[in-house]
Amino acid sequence: MRMLGRTAQNLFWLSRYVERAENMARLLEVGYRMSLTSRREGGASEHLVSMLKAAEMDEAFAERHEVADVDTVAYFMMFDPTNPSSVYSCLQAARTNARSVRTAITTDMWESMNGAWLEFSQIKPRDVRGAKLLGLLQWVRQRSHEFRGALLGTILRDDGFAFLQAGNFVERADNTARILDMKYYVLLPRSSLVGGEIDIQQWTLILRAASAHRSYGHVYHDRYKAHNIADFLILRTEMPRSLVYCAHFVRDNLNLLAKLYGRREACHDAMDDLLKLVEGTNMDQIFARGLHDFLNDFIDGNNRVTDTLSASYNFY
Amino acid sequence: MRIAIDHRLSLTLPEGTGQAVFHLLLTPPSGPTQTVESWSVEGPGIGNAGRFTDGFGNAAHLVNQLRPEGEITIHVRGEVTTRDTHGVLGRPSGEPVPALYRRFTAAAKAPEALYEPFRHSKDNRLSICHALMARVGEELGLPEEPKVPRQMQADGGQTQVQDTGEASEQRPAAADYAHLFIGAARALDIPARYVVGYRVADGEDGLHAWAEAFDEGLGWVGFDPHAQICPTDRYVRLAIGLDAETAPTLRTVPVAEVEQVAKVSAV
Amino acid sequence: MGENTPFDEMYNADGSVREPYRALSEWLAEQPEKGLALMQADAEAIFRKLGITFAVYGSEEGTEKVIPFDVIPRIIAANEWRKLSRGIEQRVKALNAFLYDIYHRQEILKAGRIPEKLILNNAAFCPQMMGLEPARGVYAHIIGVDIVRVGPDEFYVLEDNLRTPSGVSYMLEDREAMMMLAPDLFQRSKVAPVETYPENLRRTLESVAPAGAGRNPVIAVLTPGIYNSAYFEHSFLADQMGAQLCEGQDLFVDGGKVYMRTTTGPERVDVIYRRIDDDYLDPLTFRPDSMLGVPGIFDAYRAGNVTLVNAPGTGIADDKAVYTYVPEIIEFYLGEKALLNNVPTYNCTDVDQRAWVLENIAELVVKEVHGSGGYGMMVGPTSTKAQHEEFRKKIIARPDNYIVQPTLSLSTCPTHINNDVAPRHVDLRPYVLVGDEVRITPGGLTRVALKKGSLVVNSSQGGGTKDTWVLED
Repeated sequence: MRMLGRTAQNLFWLSRYVERAENMARLLEVGYRMSLTSRREGGASEHLVSMLKAAEMDEAFAERHEVADVDTVAYFMMFDPTNPSSVYSCLQAARTNARSVRTAITTDMWESMNGAWLEFSQIKPRDVRGAKLLGLLQWVRQRSHEFRGALLGTILRDDGFAFLQAGNFVERADNTARILDMKYYVLLPRSSLVGGEIDIQQWTLILRAASAHRSYGHVYHDRYKAHNIADFLILRTEMPRSLVYCAHFVRDNLNLLAKLYGRREACHDAMDDLLKLVEGTNMDQIFARGLHDFLNDFIDGNNRVTDTLSASYNFY
Repeated sequence: MRIAIDHRLSLTLPEGTGQAVFHLLLTPPSGPTQTVESWSVEGPGIGNAGRFTDGFGNAAHLVNQLRPEGEITIHVRGEVTTRDTHGVLGRPSGEPVPALYRRFTAAAKAPEALYEPFRHSKDNRLSICHALMARVGEELGLPEEPKVPRQMQADGGQTQVQDTGEASEQRPAAADYAHLFIGAARALDIPARYVVGYRVADGEDGLHAWAEAFDEGLGWVGFDPHAQICPTDRYVRLAIGLDAETAPTLRTVPVAEVEQVAKVSAV
Repeated sequence: MGENTPFDEMYNADGSVREPYRALSEWLAEQPEKGLALMQADAEAIFRKLGITFAVYGSEEGTEKVIPFDVIPRIIAANEWRKLSRGIEQRVKALNAFLYDIYHRQEILKAGRIPEKLILNNAAFCPQMMGLEPARGVYAHIIGVDIVRVGPDEFYVLEDNLRTPSGVSYMLEDREAMMMLAPDLFQRSKVAPVETYPENLRRTLESVAPAGAGRNPVIAVLTPGIYNSAYFEHSFLADQMGAQLCEGQDLFVDGGKVYMRTTTGPERVDVIYRRIDDDYLDPLTFRPDSMLGVPGIFDAYRAGNVTLVNAPGTGIADDKAVYTYVPEIIEFYLGEKALLNNVPTYNCTDVDQRAWVLENIAELVVKEVHGSGGYGMMVGPTSTKAQHEEFRKKIIARPDNYIVQPTLSLSTCPTHINNDVAPRHVDLRPYVLVGDEVRITPGGLTRVALKKGSLVVNSSQGGGTKDTWVLED
């Protein structure tokens, strides 16, 4: 049976929203830890604001709250239904997409998604403070893993699988780029601190946000260095959240679509353009050019993949 | 009489319309009162249109347009030979049972005062219909001196089509006259239906609307309460329905602004 | 009818067990204490996880609920079912013949067997359907007939649902759940399968594909979308049949044909099982403000390029006012006496009948002619004096808007209530498919009024469902 364009769209966004919910939780966890360990005056607020900036949510936040503290930021990123990127909104959108394509996903996937939403929607924001917040952030990550596990373990490797996987990794690439960019926002005003203790501490947290603080050691056998960490999150093909890994993953799934449907589309060209950014380059070149500009180009290119994909496969 | 028709419909769709769908009733039938000699409907998408017969027996087109841009023109042309039967159409085949046209509709309604005097009339149906036609003329005024019907104003929305003497409106001005006649006839248990078509008339050539009532003896008989006559060989029947809403020459989704001009002349 | 003690399907008046329920009775006696309660809890978890939910209009919290499922099945003997299904088949054949006639020559009106005005001026009559030749002459392909039982051998038809009857997914899932919960009980009985329904539905739909369709017609289920109360069912049926689940936006007409928008371009659709009401089906022909439908789909249907299931305009045959005439309809078209009873119905526009109704309203059931789902109705014996008065006023104000029937004493079935087993009133909705042949799934959906003494079984009004067993000889 051929797939409806809307179904493909729903699958793509279902995965994206699950991944986004997970990343929101990761981002908030980093912001929260930074704010706890900050030694600078006014630091807590500053860290949280830079995190919001990286997620492009600082303006939306400022419209709703005057003070950026753990409570207001946690509410905004976790529970605020008016914030389209809050964990609440992401899980709701994911579940709505899943419901629309109930017949295109497996029962295991549906149960995982439906269960996550039913549980999360019961939580009262005021009950989630301090240690409980960290617990809930972990829970969000675990439910995302569970969904992905259900997906990998049960779904046919057909076009639906390709759209799901593409959505997942387009979103993850976007997120990794934004987490790296957060470092830019944090450090920009005080570039004199590069290499200092605070600098290292911030890089550590960024690795943590990518669940990469332990695997870093396995790869580099070295203490934390900005160069290595950026290399790890951008160019290392064995790192499952790196830009190059995500881009390869999306490419593979777009190629699967080309194979299944028997032709290449505009999105395949957009994908090639994106790959050119992360292949055949190294960190020295990227730093020389400017990390922020590089990341911006990557995010733009990644968005073009989504736009062309939507047009190529009749999303509407 | 041989009548030549040149009918243009120009429609403007809302900007950003992704897909437009049109329902066309622009193909006249041949029958006892007329023979279609030649006919063409031209416009974007017509060649690929779905063609079918609607519930009232009309020949219809289903036309669609992907991402239409600018103004769309549908051009209808043809020649029809007509016969004067004093309005008598009879019982053309392929039409639904006449009883269908006893169904009341919101658009074709008449005030009780209009038909009540005929309720217990001993006259035959034809005579009653003629008398009704006259009553509708009195109620709405003669075409030369149109007045806004009070009853219809109260119903709301019915007065949008003023008789301007031009047949450029989406719905002919005469539709109100036909509706009043139809509503009254149905209230008296007489099947009556709405007819849209063309008419050759001095200074009023163009799209027109009238009514037909069913007589057990003669079959369908036309009545034009707007002109106060039974249709002659100056009339070309285009489509029929319960009322103007069920027999539109053109209906679109999304709703479009439509201007239409029909040139009708005897050859 | 109207006796004080309702007919119980499990126990005779002397307390002995009726034959069809013997195995169940033994099984119930063997269950450990709390056994049923545990089973009940398992059942609820199964349904919620599968996402089998329905939306309750007007309820404020979460729009989705799990319909209560009772773990004790309702059992119908083979000979009882044979009789019932014959009556049902007769009814659906006559109603389809009636629809064909009404939309063609209207012989039954000419013969004066049904008042012409009742049909022609009925809102459910669809003039746009006149003269259309539906594939195999079938208008209502998918039907759910509401039946109640009042005695060992006495069944009444309450309503013939010929538009878009829902609930068949509950019938299927109830069976699925019951087999998971009590496999041992199935082993002791020969239960006719219901799992064939999706396959039969597919065959029925394929059999009415338009002439131009290929050997494997493309079928789509058209849903109003995920916010519709029966969305779960729409997606369930599409899935089970291997058909595409579409919303209006997924379909479009081109060149008079209907297509789906797929990832690889348009794909022609031959048969549409639409779960959108007539009014919203096509803004080009029906309500112009409808965002749910597909513009032009009705014209494509008239052009013979797609089949709509059920056909628009079938509502005229299940109109509550037309219902009274169904025995007449059966006689007129089939020349047979109706095998299933109609509930006697009082006509409030008749002065004498109305006077009698107003006098005896406390004993009667009042239904709105166009109401459904248990809304707009009053059951006299279980309503307050104030409610009686309210409905008296309503009837006087609009006598044509109500039909009135005697209160039927619906049969009861053993039902699990608060860790005990107690009798509760039930009805039955068998599902019928009409295409190349008439296919009736054995059993159907049993709805049960969980409140003691209540006769309202609608899920929106606190009703639940039961697995329904038809025993095989």
